[in-house]
Amino acid sequence: MSRLFFLLCLVAMPVFAADELHLYNWNNYIAPETVDRFEAYCKCKVVQDYYSDNEELLAKLAAGAKGYDILVPTGNALASLVRQGALLPLDKKLIPNLKNINPAYLNTPFDPGNRYSVPYAYTVTLIGYNVEKMKQLGLPTDTWAVIFDPKYLARVKGRVTVLDSQRELMAAALKYLGYSANDTVEAHWERAEQVILRAKPYWAAFNSSSYIKELTVGNIWLVHGYSNDMFQAQSDAKAAKRKFTIGFSIPREGAVLALDNMVIHKYAPRPDLAHRFINFMLDGKNSSELTNMIGSGNPNLAALKYINPEIASNPAIFPGKDELGKLEMLQDLSMEQRRVLNRLWIKIKIE
Amino acid sequence: MSKKLLAVSGIAVYAFLYLPLVVVVAYSFNNSKLNAEWVGFTWHWYRVLLSDDTMLKAAGNSLLIALTASLASTVLGTMAGYALYRYKLKLLPVLVMAPLAIPEILVGVSLLIFFVAINLTLGLLSIMLSHIAFCVGFVAIVVRSRLSGMDESLPEAARDLGATPFQAFRLVTLPLIAPGIIAGALLAFTLSIDDFVITFFTAGVGASTLPLQIYSMIKIAVTPEVNAISTLLMLLTLFLIVVASRLSPDSIRGR
Amino acid sequence: MAKNFGKWLISGPPVLYLVVFFVIPTCIMVLASFRYAGEYGGLAPVLLHDASGAHLNLTLESYQEFFSDFIYSWLFIKTLIYALVTTFFCLLMAYPLALLIARSASKYRDLLVLLVILPFWSNFLIRIYAWMILLGPQSAFSAALNGFLGIFGVGPVRLLFTPFAVVLCLIYVQLPFMVLPLYANLEKHDPALLDAAQDLGANGWQRFWRVTFPLSLPGIYAGIALVFVPVLGIFAVPDILGGTRGIMIGNLIKQEFLEARDWPFGSALSIMLTIGAMIIVGGAALVAGRRGKGNV
Repeated sequence: MSRLFFLLCLVAMPVFAADELHLYNWNNYIAPETVDRFEAYCKCKVVQDYYSDNEELLAKLAAGAKGYDILVPTGNALASLVRQGALLPLDKKLIPNLKNINPAYLNTPFDPGNRYSVPYAYTVTLIGYNVEKMKQLGLPTDTWAVIFDPKYLARVKGRVTVLDSQRELMAAALKYLGYSANDTVEAHWERAEQVILRAKPYWAAFNSSSYIKELTVGNIWLVHGYSNDMFQAQSDAKAAKRKFTIGFSIPREGAVLALDNMVIHKYAPRPDLAHRFINFMLDGKNSSELTNMIGSGNPNLAALKYINPEIASNPAIFPGKDELGKLEMLQDLSMEQRRVLNRLWIKIKIE
Repeated sequence: MSKKLLAVSGIAVYAFLYLPLVVVVAYSFNNSKLNAEWVGFTWHWYRVLLSDDTMLKAAGNSLLIALTASLASTVLGTMAGYALYRYKLKLLPVLVMAPLAIPEILVGVSLLIFFVAINLTLGLLSIMLSHIAFCVGFVAIVVRSRLSGMDESLPEAARDLGATPFQAFRLVTLPLIAPGIIAGALLAFTLSIDDFVITFFTAGVGASTLPLQIYSMIKIAVTPEVNAISTLLMLLTLFLIVVASRLSPDSIRGR
Repeated sequence: MAKNFGKWLISGPPVLYLVVFFVIPTCIMVLASFRYAGEYGGLAPVLLHDASGAHLNLTLESYQEFFSDFIYSWLFIKTLIYALVTTFFCLLMAYPLALLIARSASKYRDLLVLLVILPFWSNFLIRIYAWMILLGPQSAFSAALNGFLGIFGVGPVRLLFTPFAVVLCLIYVQLPFMVLPLYANLEKHDPALLDAAQDLGANGWQRFWRVTFPLSLPGIYAGIALVFVPVLGIFAVPDILGGTRGIMIGNLIKQEFLEARDWPFGSALSIMLTIGAMIIVGGAALVAGRRGKGNV
């Protein structure tokens, strides 16, 4: 009994060793080799915690959780954090590698002047599909219509999944209708809701997590999802020597670009290590390792020469100028707008 | 109920319980990154697991938390169960039932806010405290149901024979309700080792548990490494309990 | 005097613990349900300070929202039905198992109980994924079922991503919580009572229904409490397996805390759910208490 008590005391003591960097990141969003190399470079230890959704990150921080140095929020979550004053302004002198970043990804509306954030990686929300099945059923793969239009859906009923995300699905429907993904006119939202409800009976599930698996195995033939997930499904299918291949493409109506950024939390225990980490990750070679691992988009120009050519030449991962013009980043909504959207979403889910 | 019918239906339920488990264990040897269909046999994932420090540490944390939390909540829960049975208290029944009724996400958020407010550093301790809070009720209810209908005359007889109330409780009542206490402890352990929602909110920096670790893999791939650690964890826990029961004196098991 | 001391000694620690680590945090959230949502998430401050001093910044809007649209109550009713079905089948399946274990030779009992719990020390997610494999269109079970139905000309049924899959997994996940309390109760039944009943001419079914079943009622109630109540708030199972139709009120509450960042409304929903659950359980306990007056 006393031994147990002692053990309890041991674990209760805050274990903040001298040189630790606390990274709160998406899982599988940094290559293990990169972490090892940083640990050797800074002679410190990297402690990682994970979240799988921006909202989880925001909820924990809103409730007061502390102790994290680096966070990796997506654009709209970044906007929220900036407005709340939850971030530490960056000392640009400590991150000279910032010059490597493609100017197209700097100075976003979320953080003008990049006072708090530095681009890390991006994904595009697009359509992934079983190439052979789409050909067999004569379905187009370059338009949102294939997941919203009943005349196409009828051929794949029960074999389609869409993201379980209010913002993403609504954005896709808005793009399909020709509106902006950031459109907040209520009448447009209602039209989008109708489109979704009309297509819903043909969908198998709202799924943001296991659709990669289902696509790779062949249970699902058409998914609405993220480009790096599709890249993974594609590689997995190839590795498993399946009789089909997975393809993915950006619909011609346009799509959502999600830019993830490195930021430092206001209460970070080690902002010095955090700055060194950011500068380290802005180096071309270090930055390229993530892209090569998961097929994520990379806003770092110096990284291009280290990236596998098949990834670098994929327009769905590295969109060209025209495609880039059709991509939009989601803005954060006001409380009122969130309420309206939420109510629409409930009706969609319950219908 | 005819003995045969009972045996058959009991075994059928066991089969239902173990069907997915067979899949879990079998797929830990699956030669595919995904948990979706069988490809071929391999030890690969066990090898990956043994070199995966993060996963092993998370599993270790889970075990530690579950052991501590189930111990503490069994003690508190047995006391609560006994109090529910013996004393007609107004407050305790509500206190015991409410944690079961309140959605986990609310409990998790509220505990996080509470811990921040009292300036408790989040970590393994905050997780343990949270787990105890929601396990106590489960143990109390199981113990209470075991107590109801207990023959009051037995401890009374012990008192008549000169035992103090405490002795009567320890030597008569306790062994009689031991199966209930053990059942409650097992429940608490199970609840703790697999909890996700509350743990997510009350976990501190670097304090990961197995459910948190696995959930964070959900988007990428829940590889058979997870099956491997699940299998190993089950076997390890089984082993620990068999050892513990061999070591404990028979009187505690109420024979 | 000694009796009172004993009462406080025994009930004191659990009450204290629960008050500190449960009641107080819950009160925080009850208060939260009357607050405004923070502009960027979280909660708005309770007190607003302006020129004329501090004002209470509270509102009933979350509760008004709940009552303003029947959709929320409808979702609660739907969840209730899922929970009732789950509890019923759990009881149906747990009872024979608990009885079997209780009636087994004492040296096997502990092991048999352990065997019931053992699957649940693997990870929750991995067990759900196992069900996805078992219920998926390519599984042997699906193929066999559809082959069977095909004989009658019934089209192929999808098992996965349906309410059926949700309820099946809910039953699976909650089963040990019904087995254990039932077993704890059944184990103490005196076999002499059954022998006496047999001597008096009762057959097997009568012995069960007139002796065993009534004695096991406290165990049944405990099991129902441990299954029915938590299932009401569950969201993980419908999230993964529910397809487009299987959501429960737990999913909505999660959505309010995360995507909608509307914590007050999430709290209000949770509180309404809790009150509803307590009313149902309390009501059932009252009914049972009145009927069970004559039982041991």
